[in-house]
Amino acid sequence: MHDERPALNRDEPTDRRAGRDEVLYRESFRIKGNDFEHGGESAAAIKAILKQLSFPTEAIRRLSIANFEAEMNVIMYADEAEITLEVLPDAVRVTVADRGQGIPDIEWAMQEGNSTATPEMRARGFGAGLGLPNIRRNSDEFSIRSAAGVGTTLVYVVRANARVAP
Amino acid sequence: MTERPHAVVTDPGKCVGCVACSKACPTRAIRVRDDLAVIDDELCIDCGTCIDACGYDAIRPRTSSPADLRKFKYTVAVPSLTLYAQFGDDVHPGRVLRGLRQLGFDETYDISWMCEMVASATEAFLSESTEPWPKISVTCPAVLRLIQISYPDLIPHLVPIETPRELAAKLRRRRLAAERGLDPSEIGMFFITPCTAIMESIEAPEGLEASYLDGAFAIKDLYGQLVKAIKHDPGPDTFEAISPRGLRWAMAGGEISSMRNANTITVRGLRDVIYVFDRIESGAFQGLDFIEAYICPGGCVGGQLTVVGRYLAQRNIRQLARHLVDQGAVKEEKVRSMLEDHFFDHEAEIRARRVRPLARDLRQAIALKREKDALLERLPRKDCAACGAPDCLTLADDIVRGKAKLSDCVFVRLDELEGGEKPHQGDEDA
Repeated sequence: MHDERPALNRDEPTDRRAGRDEVLYRESFRIKGNDFEHGGESAAAIKAILKQLSFPTEAIRRLSIANFEAEMNVIMYADEAEITLEVLPDAVRVTVADRGQGIPDIEWAMQEGNSTATPEMRARGFGAGLGLPNIRRNSDEFSIRSAAGVGTTLVYVVRANARVAP
Repeated sequence: MTERPHAVVTDPGKCVGCVACSKACPTRAIRVRDDLAVIDDELCIDCGTCIDACGYDAIRPRTSSPADLRKFKYTVAVPSLTLYAQFGDDVHPGRVLRGLRQLGFDETYDISWMCEMVASATEAFLSESTEPWPKISVTCPAVLRLIQISYPDLIPHLVPIETPRELAAKLRRRRLAAERGLDPSEIGMFFITPCTAIMESIEAPEGLEASYLDGAFAIKDLYGQLVKAIKHDPGPDTFEAISPRGLRWAMAGGEISSMRNANTITVRGLRDVIYVFDRIESGAFQGLDFIEAYICPGGCVGGQLTVVGRYLAQRNIRQLARHLVDQGAVKEEKVRSMLEDHFFDHEAEIRARRVRPLARDLRQAIALKREKDALLERLPRKDCAACGAPDCLTLADDIVRGKAKLSDCVFVRLDELEGGEKPHQGDEDA
């Protein structure tokens, strides 16, 4: 069984000002745990939507990396999830809410290189331990809440014209 | 954007207005209008899939004509390695080259050595490169154009090394001009091509200001004459040397087969290329060093303009490579010094070819996207293509862009004729 250290709540999104937070477009996708066959499809669908909406290429690139990581995390670890795309006037917000085992120690999981991926997952090219840190690196706002045995919710925002990730 | 001619042309006399090409097109660039397939310049990647899909021989490659040879004082045929694979293993490539000369070229120039050199140069490049990974080969021009249109983020992944065919033409033209006292423009260099994509890369090159080649003939167009010429020529006792390692470039997997770096993959066929590029764009595959990708399933041997087809051609290439002696003539130091001289470099930047979004303004684009989604609800989702667009989604896209009408859909028209209830308001398009 997992280590029993408590889950942490951190970094609630701060930008709740009216106007900039107006949701112009919203669409949700369902992801099922273990559904490797369709892994990456939600990320691809979101990318296709944003391309049509003439969202800047660099922002789409960063968001797609984050979405792909988040989607594969759900497939590898959770039972199911809803991934919601929200287009704001100058940013995109994605919420990934899963039902599943949760992350007992978020601080540990947020460190580069740490992973609980099984050898099978590694054989598929995942589990380099960069999932969550990679999402944070490729977004401009990032928050994570998790309850062991219940699930994890990620919220991240990529700005249309943000600094480039280091 | 300048008007760009295509590698393919539709023949109005033969096109019956069926939708086979439109449905097969990977970038949804073809619409059937008034019983004629029309190709959208902005979206075409010249892959030639439509040529294979057409059952009426109505889509033809735009090739050079014999008259083009007369524009030059001295002509050189530069055959694709795939040409060697069209005859069987008792026909040495040297006999194929002699046959080509009998067809009227003053000279032939084999590119197998250049393939080996480019493989060497690519390895040297990989060993000194940094992010982003993986690097992607630029050998298949249709892959290159797919990246420019659909995957602009992958442009930094492209290996900045020119293709063997262009480098061979550059090298030979330079030497010939010196040897024969000709102006380089008096020399006509013609590629013997397995595909439309290469033809287009000569017409409208990427990575070069202008191609070092002057035109191209399709393998299948020269084949009949060439078979006759080869049959009647017993050939000399010795033949010019061909690089067996280079020869493998004709097949998917060939580029990486002569590399020491094993951290590579080969991606074959359009669907797989799209599958892999989608994932690289999302950040997957970063653990790989190099990807060679071909739009045609077997690599160049699977081009639409070949004769024997990829299975026999693959077998022929393997047999030939086995019989040929590897003379190891490509020296590593030589390649290093050519690298230092920038011989292999691209001469122009490869840029994204941006396909226009629904609208520039975000709110307007969202409004159009909603309109498009609503239209899609009204369409039958049978993707029958009777409207001329390949599927319902594309028709909806065309409608919001003002290029088609809802009444182009036969099911919508049928509903209206039957006086069926209109499912939505606001259909004033009749």
